[in-house]
Amino acid sequence: MAQAVPAVQKWWNGGKSPFNVEYGKIMMWYFLMSDAFTFGAFLISYGTIRFATNSWPDPNHVFNSFPGLGAGYPLLFVSLMTFILIISSVTMVLAVQAGQDMDRKRVAKYLVFTILGGLAFLSCQAWEWTHLYHEGAWWGHNPFPNHNGSVATTNFSNFFFTITGFHGFHVFSGVIINIIMLIMTLQGKFDQRGHYLMIEKAGLYWHFVDLVWVFVFTCFYLI
Amino acid sequence: MEQHSTTAVYHHEEHGHAGGGTKEVIRITVYLTVITLVELAIGFYMYKAALPEGFFRHFLKGLICALMLWKAFYIVAYFMHLKHEIRNLIMTIVVPLFLFVWFIIAFLADGNSYKNLRNKYDPYHIEQNDKKAPVEHEHGAQKEGTIE
Amino acid sequence: MSNEAILHGSEVSTHEAHHDGHGEHHHHETFISKYVFSMDHKMIAKQFLITGIIWAILGGLMSVLFRLQLGFPDATFPWLENILGHWAKGGKIQPEFYYALVTMHGTVLVFFVLTAGLSGTFANFLIPLQIGARDMASPFMNMLSYWFFFLSSVVMVSSLFIQTGPASGGWTSYPPLSALGDASLGSKTGMDLWLISMALFVVSSLLGGLNYISTILNMRTKGMSMTRLPLTIWALFFTAVLGVLSFPVLLSGFILLLFDRHAGTSFYLSDIFLASTQKALPNEGGSAILYQHLFWFLGHPEVYIILLPAMGMVSEVMSTNARKPIFGYMAMVGSIFAITILAFLVWAHHMFVTGLNPFLGSFFVLLTLLIAVPSAIKVFNWLTTLWRGNIRFTPAMLFAIGFVSLFISGGLTGIWLGNSSLDIHLHDTYFVIAHFHIVMGVASFFGMFCGVYHWFPKMYGRYLNNTMGYIHFWITIVGAYLIFWPMHYEGLAGMPRRYLDYSGWASFNQFGGLNHFISIVSMIVFAVQLLFVFNFFYSIFKGRRVKSENPWGSNTLEWTTPIHPGHGNWVGEIPEVHRWAYDYGKDGREFISQTEPISANESEHH
Repeated sequence: MAQAVPAVQKWWNGGKSPFNVEYGKIMMWYFLMSDAFTFGAFLISYGTIRFATNSWPDPNHVFNSFPGLGAGYPLLFVSLMTFILIISSVTMVLAVQAGQDMDRKRVAKYLVFTILGGLAFLSCQAWEWTHLYHEGAWWGHNPFPNHNGSVATTNFSNFFFTITGFHGFHVFSGVIINIIMLIMTLQGKFDQRGHYLMIEKAGLYWHFVDLVWVFVFTCFYLI
Repeated sequence: MEQHSTTAVYHHEEHGHAGGGTKEVIRITVYLTVITLVELAIGFYMYKAALPEGFFRHFLKGLICALMLWKAFYIVAYFMHLKHEIRNLIMTIVVPLFLFVWFIIAFLADGNSYKNLRNKYDPYHIEQNDKKAPVEHEHGAQKEGTIE
Repeated sequence: MSNEAILHGSEVSTHEAHHDGHGEHHHHETFISKYVFSMDHKMIAKQFLITGIIWAILGGLMSVLFRLQLGFPDATFPWLENILGHWAKGGKIQPEFYYALVTMHGTVLVFFVLTAGLSGTFANFLIPLQIGARDMASPFMNMLSYWFFFLSSVVMVSSLFIQTGPASGGWTSYPPLSALGDASLGSKTGMDLWLISMALFVVSSLLGGLNYISTILNMRTKGMSMTRLPLTIWALFFTAVLGVLSFPVLLSGFILLLFDRHAGTSFYLSDIFLASTQKALPNEGGSAILYQHLFWFLGHPEVYIILLPAMGMVSEVMSTNARKPIFGYMAMVGSIFAITILAFLVWAHHMFVTGLNPFLGSFFVLLTLLIAVPSAIKVFNWLTTLWRGNIRFTPAMLFAIGFVSLFISGGLTGIWLGNSSLDIHLHDTYFVIAHFHIVMGVASFFGMFCGVYHWFPKMYGRYLNNTMGYIHFWITIVGAYLIFWPMHYEGLAGMPRRYLDYSGWASFNQFGGLNHFISIVSMIVFAVQLLFVFNFFYSIFKGRRVKSENPWGSNTLEWTTPIHPGHGNWVGEIPEVHRWAYDYGKDGREFISQTEPISANESEHH
């Protein structure tokens, strides 16, 4: 029965999904849309305050440490974080593809890689937060001067911690979701169901977390 | 239970001709990496050359934003598989995102206007803004320039 | 086949019973699983409705209390002290409590009654029934949506009983007032509870909205193409879209506000000297206008979240009871869509005088005035639907017509307020109060009543009492106009809103008698609403029984279900749909159900 979809399908006529996907995936997509507006609102607020402020600290002078190397390496640590997240996104895609091939072992393997990637990212973030905290930055405290040497408002750290914190919270919940997926895979739940659609939905969420990082990374570290 | 197996078969088959497979994933990974490296290079150049505020710096920042959107496109289209979904779904995801255009323009424009108003009418604000921070701040030094 | 199979995907197990062709399955149902943690969309709808009614009584009572103060500023009511304690010392409402009352009245009615109570009820009830589905896409998430709403209600109610009182910074909760605990009593714990409650509410509306959207898109029965959907479903669909895209922005705004309150941040705070503590605050660099932007980015779509379901139901009820096809179906759909888009583009017209850039404001004026176009299309179509109709004046129909009347009178003043130059004079006056109460408050209530009267037989298998319905309608519509019409004049004269006592201004003394009158009418109208509540609960148990499946002679699918539909809605197969929902008075027949195939010699379908 698994026919190729005819060219002129009447998608909207009822009795079928106009998107050719099951409802759970639609829900996940629209949930991500709505989450995009949550993050969008945060980042746009950050932009608004930056536009409303005369000058701002230079991120290259703030985020310039690397564990074991000390200060003076702008962009290095955040590049590492970015690549960790991209790679974990790639392993997630591979897990989804393995799921479509109904290959339980491969799904489990790639899920483990993805979880490890997520944990590595969270560890990096934990290190960075601790480091900044020891430099005196926290919600309501900002030790870093503006790039022109004048006293900065606290909003630099306020937004940094709020938004990366919110993103980190998403990574964390993504890791939890992936761990649940891994357990379910190992138990053979998806083989019983006959499909790995849950992995695809978890995958969408995980890629979204990666996607948000692309924006957070640009807004806080690059410009 | 019969239904379940059909679902699986359907998806299996669909995968065969809709997605690009592992090759595509590797290709996209390479693209993402290269774009990120370019972004980092631009960022590093802005830092090393100590570019002054001005057109060129803004241009580079704009370039970085464009690259950011390009990356976002690759992630959504290939990793999230949107490009291989049918058109209906693509449209319902992409079209609402255009709401961000006015969302961003209006917010940022008003933020900018707030700054201008304060600079114009609030002398204390200017005075406060010109206050210099202590020049070199040491690591672990306690919270200079902070409140409290 | 393949597509149908993936419709239900991973949750097939919960639906299995539905697919064997016998909707009326009788698995064991306990009291808890049937009435409390129910996953039946019809029961969840009733839960939303009854919770909404309770909230409406509370919110209405608050307005009666503050109207007491506004109408009788010199009188004392010792009994108030008995029930309110120190909030009404000596029988007079204290200023702090007055603000709390106004704030809670707004919050409760906007969010808990007209959002959850209205679209929660009718989206849950009507979507599966009218599109021909057994239940929502995810019944479990649907249940969660109600219980998050319940939890949010519990938090909000509990804030009424804490020592420092509930939030009192207005339903918009602008910082810095709402951000600084020292600024007022209501900005202490009450504000935190308000924010927590609202965050839970956002979760609830998100769970609900995602469910509504995916159900409407994915679960329509065979033949139910999008252009055959009843207008109720279109309206509820766009309502859900509005909610899903705008509530998250509010959530972000609230999270930043919580940080400002408790983590020493300055997102919204700058240059503040606090009178109560005689201290200058160190916060620097924030922008209070940013909060207003974030708030109104939800706040304006919220207006349409409230209004669209009412519009949809009015269209449906009006066509049914005029025994005529709805005029301009596609124009109706198009105008709902246009309103949805515009709803996201006009938010800053609430902020013309708050420090918004005037040049930017002019764009918002233009976009705002554009909303008049789809609104006018809708009004035109309603009037032409009524034109030469064979009208049956059931209470539901009366409320539908009343809705159109209110929408016109309230909508026209919106054109005044949408102009930034006029707004300089009119902002924050009673003119604004009159405008939004008529166009969004009372009008949506009318839509809600229209829906309740019309679908009550489907909900409970009994009719509401008609006589009480007529009394309810006439006193409510006359009362609503008597209350809010005079407020336009007060507003034009410059009388500001949110004031406890106007006796200090000689210029407003002339309105003493008018305020007195408004207060008395509002009490009468409130009493009549209690009559409706009585009618509602009385009729659940004692109302006249519904004898036929299709008491209103209506085309839509919900009237093809049994009088008391079980969980699964249809016995046997879900009916297939062959035509749009508005074939009334066609080819000499009074109505033709959507399930009837188009016959060979039928006149052309439009």
